[in-house]
Amino acid sequence: MTDAADIAETSRAATDWRELRPAERLKAALQTRTAMVAAVILVLLGLWLAAEVQDVARSRLLSLAVWGVMLGGVIGLGAIGLTLIYGVLKFPNFSHGALVTLGAYIAFAVVTVWPGQSPALGPFSFGWDLIVGMIIAMPLVGLAALGLDRVVYRRLRIQKSSLVLFAMASLAMAFLLRSLIYLAWGSDFHFYYQGRANPSFTLIGVQVQADQIFILVLAFTLVGLIYLLLGRTKMGKAMRATANNPELAQVRGINTERVIAWTWIMSGALAAAGGVMYGLASQLRPEMGFWLLLPMFAAVIMGTIGNPRGALVGAIIIGVAQQVSTAFLNPAYGPAVAFVLMVLTLLLRPQGLFGGGS
Amino acid sequence: MPLLKVDAITCGYGDVEVLSDVSAEVNAGEIVSVIGPNGAGKSTLMKAVFGLLHPWKGAISFKDQDISRLEPYDIVKLRMCYVPQVANVFTDLTVEDNLEMGAFVLSDGDMAERKERVFELFPRLKERRRQDAGKMSGGERQMVAMGSALMLDPELLLLDEPSAGLAPKMVEVIFDRIVRVNEEGIAVLMVEQNAKQSLYMAHRGYVLANGQNRFEGGGRELLNDPEVGRLYLGG
Amino acid sequence: MMDAATIVKALLVAIPLSVAGVALLRIRWVLRLPLGIAAGVAAAFVLAAWLESGGLAYLVSFATMGGIYAILALGLNTQWGYGGHLNFGIAGFFAIGAFTTALFTTAEPTGTLAQYTQQAFGLEMPFLVGIAAGAVVAGIVALLIAVPVLRLRMDFLAIATIGIAEIIRLIFQNERWLANGPQPLRGIPQPGRCILEEQCGPHWLTVFLEPLTPRDYTYLYLIVITVFVVAVYLLAERAVRSPWGRMLRATRDEESSTAMSGKNVPWVRIQSFVFGAVIMGIAGGLYAHYTVTIDYSHFRPLFATFMVWVMLMLGGSGNNAGAVLGAFIVWAVWSGTAFMVGALEPVLGAISEDLPSRASYLRWLFVALLLAGIVLFRPQGIMPEEKVVSRHAFAPGEGPGEGGAQHQG
Repeated sequence: MTDAADIAETSRAATDWRELRPAERLKAALQTRTAMVAAVILVLLGLWLAAEVQDVARSRLLSLAVWGVMLGGVIGLGAIGLTLIYGVLKFPNFSHGALVTLGAYIAFAVVTVWPGQSPALGPFSFGWDLIVGMIIAMPLVGLAALGLDRVVYRRLRIQKSSLVLFAMASLAMAFLLRSLIYLAWGSDFHFYYQGRANPSFTLIGVQVQADQIFILVLAFTLVGLIYLLLGRTKMGKAMRATANNPELAQVRGINTERVIAWTWIMSGALAAAGGVMYGLASQLRPEMGFWLLLPMFAAVIMGTIGNPRGALVGAIIIGVAQQVSTAFLNPAYGPAVAFVLMVLTLLLRPQGLFGGGS
Repeated sequence: MPLLKVDAITCGYGDVEVLSDVSAEVNAGEIVSVIGPNGAGKSTLMKAVFGLLHPWKGAISFKDQDISRLEPYDIVKLRMCYVPQVANVFTDLTVEDNLEMGAFVLSDGDMAERKERVFELFPRLKERRRQDAGKMSGGERQMVAMGSALMLDPELLLLDEPSAGLAPKMVEVIFDRIVRVNEEGIAVLMVEQNAKQSLYMAHRGYVLANGQNRFEGGGRELLNDPEVGRLYLGG
Repeated sequence: MMDAATIVKALLVAIPLSVAGVALLRIRWVLRLPLGIAAGVAAAFVLAAWLESGGLAYLVSFATMGGIYAILALGLNTQWGYGGHLNFGIAGFFAIGAFTTALFTTAEPTGTLAQYTQQAFGLEMPFLVGIAAGAVVAGIVALLIAVPVLRLRMDFLAIATIGIAEIIRLIFQNERWLANGPQPLRGIPQPGRCILEEQCGPHWLTVFLEPLTPRDYTYLYLIVITVFVVAVYLLAERAVRSPWGRMLRATRDEESSTAMSGKNVPWVRIQSFVFGAVIMGIAGGLYAHYTVTIDYSHFRPLFATFMVWVMLMLGGSGNNAGAVLGAFIVWAVWSGTAFMVGALEPVLGAISEDLPSRASYLRWLFVALLLAGIVLFRPQGIMPEEKVVSRHAFAPGEGPGEGGAQHQG
């Protein structure tokens, strides 16, 4: 919807928005898409300025921004799955972070049992073992997600339970998965490749690691594939349709349970990919998924719930903001930055960047 | 033997009874119109027929098969399609995608052919086939909604207040299309606020009030009936 | 025969048990009070005679933590059960209460200690002032959050409160100057401990408690906890049955059926959120004085939040008695899993040599399954929400059949 439509929607009785009192006009104007884009740009500029004030080198800022885009790719992989589930099933899946962690650890298991040492491929630090690990992890986590749905969420759907019960159930599932991960792998930190060289080179004046380029390319490729899937295939369109209007989907004869099943599989697979990428970029911790949960939700909300492209855009914004903020802020506060952006979105324009008028 | 038979159904929402002992029939190839004041239960009747609600008492049968307990996606397979009053298009999908979703239960075989037929009926949609349905005007959306329902080549089309919220010019177009669709053999069960127009188009009509049958008869007959006119047609 | 120490302990334990007895006996008050006390005293002596001192001490610590969780559950019940706020950030208010109390009641580190410990301030205030401070600060933070955040849709509120709790924990973890950052904050004074250590306090009390050692302090603290649990429960009950409480429930039911975009949140709903946070802050303070040493890891958002929600859901939300009951039951289950896991250790060791050290996570697994079970099979909990009938029922406009439009399809 256009901005004019936004303004018209948010002003209550007035037929002409020019008839609104200045305060109401301001409020309505603040809720348009343009205003939100402006707010996001302002926040990013603000972060940049804060870093400048602290005398951070321009080149460092640039490299942070580039890393931010990469982090955005990782967050995005998780966020796309999360937004699809949120859109189709209408509840926030708090166990999504655990799915991310599970994917990372399954790949780790593959790498651990891989016979011999898998040599590094090209300029990257990983070998075929990681690729195979990821290819194995993705469908496994997808099936795990589907399994949880069959056992728990589907029953709640049949019982027509309230949102709260779904949220509670996903909280319980988050704990279940985390417990299993702790039991299987313990609480230590791990690396995919201990002590392996991580070559980096300079690209347009910025230090980047080959791994990071790979992560970025993979994230965008997967997102591109999903984009095609959702846009061109029948099941993909059915997913978008169900996310958009589940009652109408039923009316049109779409088998919503089958759509939901595929959505869970995709969501789990993407989460696993995100987990592997995140593990490669940093390290494997049992809490890694939970650390990403807040940024993922922030990306989903900013990009409009149910909209996968939006989730990626939101994720990149969050990623860049988080990374740039590390120039002057303790990196541990990354999720706090994501949180602030999320709350801003919720207060100004809860339907996100790509949603229609309220 | 009627195509659709609603046999003395009683139903409602939660604890509240909305329809009491309501009966109606639609024969093949007919347009049947249901009118009545607000809150009479017209929409509820539609939902019950389409399986969005299940009757507490009584039965509904379609093509001689009991559909009282069936879900919408099963009923769609029997070739009965429903156009809801609101939220009747997928706003995030294009016009073309919306139509495709209408034919979801079919294999892709003659999808192109079916789309062409809908475009023939609604040429305006052909021009805008790649536009997001959410960005269209009310009248165009109604066309998309009806077109989606027609993709399955249904034997019975259920329309819930097709003219609601539309400009008069649009209302004419929509009603004209309904008649054309019916001329091709599709039976129509229509709930309408615009009582006069809908009775005029209909072969038969029912008047519901307070969740019960009040009048029934031929379309023109009801239109000219003085009592119906006084009570429900604004004199 | 029981020795002096055991008799004293039995008498001390008799106090909370009597309270429990009076609470659980659902008979007329005339009989309830004496019978409850009698039952409590009898139970206390039976337990003291039967269990070795280790067992009795375990029960005391169990009851203490159970009581703290009961207070948390009462706070959550005010926010969720009566107010309809889906608060997933319990751990945040809990942490604020604990750390604030600690800062108010400890002394500023001096000398060599200052090299290891940093804190923003240390006022050496008495216990009650510390608790009050914890409650007030938790309430203020809740107020600051409430105004922007409570107007959000329920699922957004849940996400937002998780975020807030996480940020609060991050602050306590990373800001060394505030409360010693990642290092634990130690030396939180315990109220009344000096009676056992230095024989301060009234003479009769010192004589009475003479057989006990400072290590038996937990028996005294349990009485403190009991007092607070009873006080908070009565306060919450009073609030719920008052006109304020009815107004709160009315707006809660209204909000759940209307979209909330942009409308200003009714003041009463903000109050319920703050009130619940204050209660949680009190629990935090009590916790800090109990454990003497706190650090950020005690307040991992998902764990504390998770446990209290399981407690409220099991006990029955919208029901204060249910909240307390649920707290003790779930705490018992959690404690029970410790024994269960201990018994299972040989089995675990047989499966894999790494498992026994990770056995504590089996406990989480069990509680997660418990919550899933509750959600699937008994979401209303043990004690479903009571229909509170006020003394003014059937006043004009409030009786059944009055008002309310007829619903038509």
